[in-house]
Amino acid sequence: MKYDRFVDLVVIGGGPAGLSTAISAKKNGIDDILLLERELCLGGILNQCIHDGFGLHLFKENLTGPEYAQKQIDELKTLNISYLTDAMVINLTKSKELEFIHRTGHKLIKAKAVILAMGCRERTRFNIQIPGTRPSGIYTAGTAQNLVNLQNIKIGKNILILGSGDIGLIMARRLTLEGMNIAGVYEIMSYTAGLERNIQQCLNDYSIPLFLSSTVTEIFGKGRIEGVNIGKVDKDLKPITHSERFVKCDTLLLSVGLIPENELSKKAGVKITDFTGGAVVDSELQTNIEGIFSCGNVLQIHDLADYASLEAKRAGYFAARYIKSKQKRYNRYKINFCEKIKYASPNYIVENKEAIIVSFRIKKPAKNVVLIVKDRENNILVKKKFIRLLPSELIQIKLEREVKSDIYLEIE
Amino acid sequence: MCKNPYDVIIIGAGVVGCACGRELSKYKLNVAVLEKNTDVSEGISKGNSGVVHAGFYVPYGTLKARTNVEGFFAIPKLAAELNFPYKKIGKLVISNDKYGLTELKRLKEAGDKNGCIGLEIITEKQISHIEPKVKAKYALFSKETAIISPYLFTIALVENALKNGVDFFLNHEVIKIWKDKEFFVQTKKDTFHSKWLINAAGLYSDKISCLAGDKNHKIFPCRGEYLVTDKDNEKIINRMIYPIPPKDGASLGVHITPTTDGNILIGPSAEFINNYGLENTKQFLNEMKEDAFKMVPELKRLPIIRTYSGIRPKLIYAKTKKDFRDFVIEESKTVPKLINIIGIESPGLAAAPAIANLVLNIIGNKENLNKNEQFDAYDPKKPDFQSLSVEEKKELIKKNPDFGEIICRCETITKGELLNAINNPLGVKTLDGIKRRCRAGMGRCQGGFCTPRTIKILRKEYGIKEKDILKNENNSNLFFGKIKE
Amino acid sequence: MKKKIVCTLCPIGCELEVEIQEGKVVSVEGSLCERGVKYAKDEIENPTRCISSSIPVRGGKRYETVSVKTSSAIPKDKIFDVMNKIKKIQLKAPIKLGDIIIKNVLNLNVDIAATRNIEKDKSK
Repeated sequence: MKYDRFVDLVVIGGGPAGLSTAISAKKNGIDDILLLERELCLGGILNQCIHDGFGLHLFKENLTGPEYAQKQIDELKTLNISYLTDAMVINLTKSKELEFIHRTGHKLIKAKAVILAMGCRERTRFNIQIPGTRPSGIYTAGTAQNLVNLQNIKIGKNILILGSGDIGLIMARRLTLEGMNIAGVYEIMSYTAGLERNIQQCLNDYSIPLFLSSTVTEIFGKGRIEGVNIGKVDKDLKPITHSERFVKCDTLLLSVGLIPENELSKKAGVKITDFTGGAVVDSELQTNIEGIFSCGNVLQIHDLADYASLEAKRAGYFAARYIKSKQKRYNRYKINFCEKIKYASPNYIVENKEAIIVSFRIKKPAKNVVLIVKDRENNILVKKKFIRLLPSELIQIKLEREVKSDIYLEIE
Repeated sequence: MCKNPYDVIIIGAGVVGCACGRELSKYKLNVAVLEKNTDVSEGISKGNSGVVHAGFYVPYGTLKARTNVEGFFAIPKLAAELNFPYKKIGKLVISNDKYGLTELKRLKEAGDKNGCIGLEIITEKQISHIEPKVKAKYALFSKETAIISPYLFTIALVENALKNGVDFFLNHEVIKIWKDKEFFVQTKKDTFHSKWLINAAGLYSDKISCLAGDKNHKIFPCRGEYLVTDKDNEKIINRMIYPIPPKDGASLGVHITPTTDGNILIGPSAEFINNYGLENTKQFLNEMKEDAFKMVPELKRLPIIRTYSGIRPKLIYAKTKKDFRDFVIEESKTVPKLINIIGIESPGLAAAPAIANLVLNIIGNKENLNKNEQFDAYDPKKPDFQSLSVEEKKELIKKNPDFGEIICRCETITKGELLNAINNPLGVKTLDGIKRRCRAGMGRCQGGFCTPRTIKILRKEYGIKEKDILKNENNSNLFFGKIKE
Repeated sequence: MKKKIVCTLCPIGCELEVEIQEGKVVSVEGSLCERGVKYAKDEIENPTRCISSSIPVRGGKRYETVSVKTSSAIPKDKIFDVMNKIKKIQLKAPIKLGDIIIKNVLNLNVDIAATRNIEKDKSK
């Protein structure tokens, strides 16, 4: 194979994770970096997130999405990290060869390490198989956000939102402010999927009704959507018979979950876990393929861009260390968790001297619980009390002590 | 350019109407195709399995058998001329019991008699050799059964017919027909007249026949739902996997069909309905998944990315296989020079070229047909970026940088391909029309990412206003205009 | 009057029970820290919010709109008045992040500021 270029590190994706990981790798001594972004601008999804609430952890200030992105872009440019926008990676191999295309041509490059930071996509009505007709006027919340915020397009007049994910809540407020009516937000679970702050500031502030344990059971309309059936569900999420009622709307917005975009990772043989849809990684965020790292929403769905950036920062550090040392990978220990926990990431621990960060998500809301992290000998590594734990919150804990066996996360 | 009066008017731009249009364009005839929808292939022709049946499901001596087998042999040649996706991947009809084996043998006999080629009964060992993920004791292996993209097939026929002088009128719903020596056909927009009238109106062909004065036909709509999986990159299956056809004769049973793009279709159901509604129902979506997973359990691993449905134009409310009804392809017994093409359900897609030939013969028996010397049978292949070699990709981007810009990330569709689709010769600018022509929006995110980019191009580069952009049919407007003027 | 609100300052999300008399907070229960008490007081007595929107821009490179925000929080009951002011504006590229689009909107001592750089499209 004839390569167009050799690079130490390629970062795939220029959103909050990709920018952060590139900056971190550079600061940790890697000069030869190429960041590839498939959209026309750097910043990823931040560009369309014009609301505030970003940056409180990373920059210690309250920023909007574009401002947050600009800070990262400025730093990327100050550090002279090379990047290319409108560049789509169409193939990636185990040996870290990348094929990408751009208006200037088709390029084949070989990298010493690759960091995956491609983000995620939204679940569609077909993924959750909502029955009914297939009219126009059905958008995922993020697509609607792009059309409304970046293209000034009026997507509807009377809009019903299914799912209480954060983007859905943010869009409920956005569309209300821009003069559209929200017919209601419907959530199949008995609790909300979005952050408490968004429930208050996006729904309660504008008296937008929220209906829990309710879902769209059928879509009606020929041409344009004319309404939906809303059905109540029981605690096992089974529809309650005769609970259906028709609700009129001319637009349906879906905020029903995000899926890490790992199609490219799979091409390189990266193992994906069903728990998160993200890569199986060790505590250095390295995948099963040596030299391929994963971070941000392509690894696991984060609640805040800040958390994605912070995780990416660590991936950049470890990738830099890998490139410099070419160190062999040490024995790894497994991270196990109890059935109250939905998933924990990373999946493995590399024999370590430094602190390890483990993030996890709980399956159901819980109050006054204790998280205990034990090793194989039942030594308690971490014990932490939580007044309230919600599935919508990704919890991160730090293991300061050296780990020398498999560990187990338990909620009591 | 309107060549009113026409020699032939064809009502309906489905695969049959378009095949007729293209066939007639080989002769010196003025032909018009009238279509009520905003695009061609909007009815039965888009909502099916996309299979070129070999011809073993249909009874010997029927029009269904004759046109199926003839069409089966004609389609590869057409695919070579018109460059639409065609793949001869083969099919297994599987069974696990002795009754099934008898049925398989019966199908093979029928096929052999009809003139099918490449049929063989195989057993467990051979089955697991060619399809390791399929567990079955017996199978009828049809090596020659092929898949095509039904709408790209139709579109290819249209574009070639257009090139050879056929006029297409979209958004022309026929509301009145009368005859005064010649036919007068009034649509919602205009009136046309012609010597011959071909009724290829699919689901509505009974109504069109009625408008033209022949009240002897009735269609019973029978809906079939489908699920579409994400791309089968690991090749869980390589061939079509079918069950023994159910006894009611309404369908071939829920089957598993790879598409020319690499996805897998699961379906269809069979449900007689009293309207033309294309809904998906929870009941059938769930039942079909169960049926398919019984045949190939590993399919469970593939995410569902889309559901759709189509409608069969049945001529009888079928209860048993004995209630067989053949295709109607004939000059009306009561209205001369009205050619009715009615009840074209499966294997209609495969049969379309042969049906067009029959129609040509009916006209040829009464008219002196002169060859169109300028007829050009070929349409060049449009660049399909993903299928190119690295060298070809480099070359294409060098020639036109638009092929270096990806619009649809899921399907790897470039701006060059998108623009080719938008610039289609029929002038269709609906989002679905563009999607079908280039696959942008057909992938796992279902247009979540590429819709905003496509919309921006339609607005900025084609000057189409937000409120005028349609998804597919009229009234399917995507937007209400701008937020801030 | 008693009112229940959830403190949103940190992920713990204390459920606060607030006693209100004549629009003023008399007592706050359920807060784990002092910040919760202030949060409740602000939320009840003088709720404020930052808002954002986007404004059409002519002649911009890659962008057709510029995102904007209030430079600091505005009283909650003024949100729609401020939105109405924002709705009337049309802009031309270039625009720099931080540019003041409306100075001292509605005399609230708050500006509407751009949150994105918009370069001028030189191809046109």
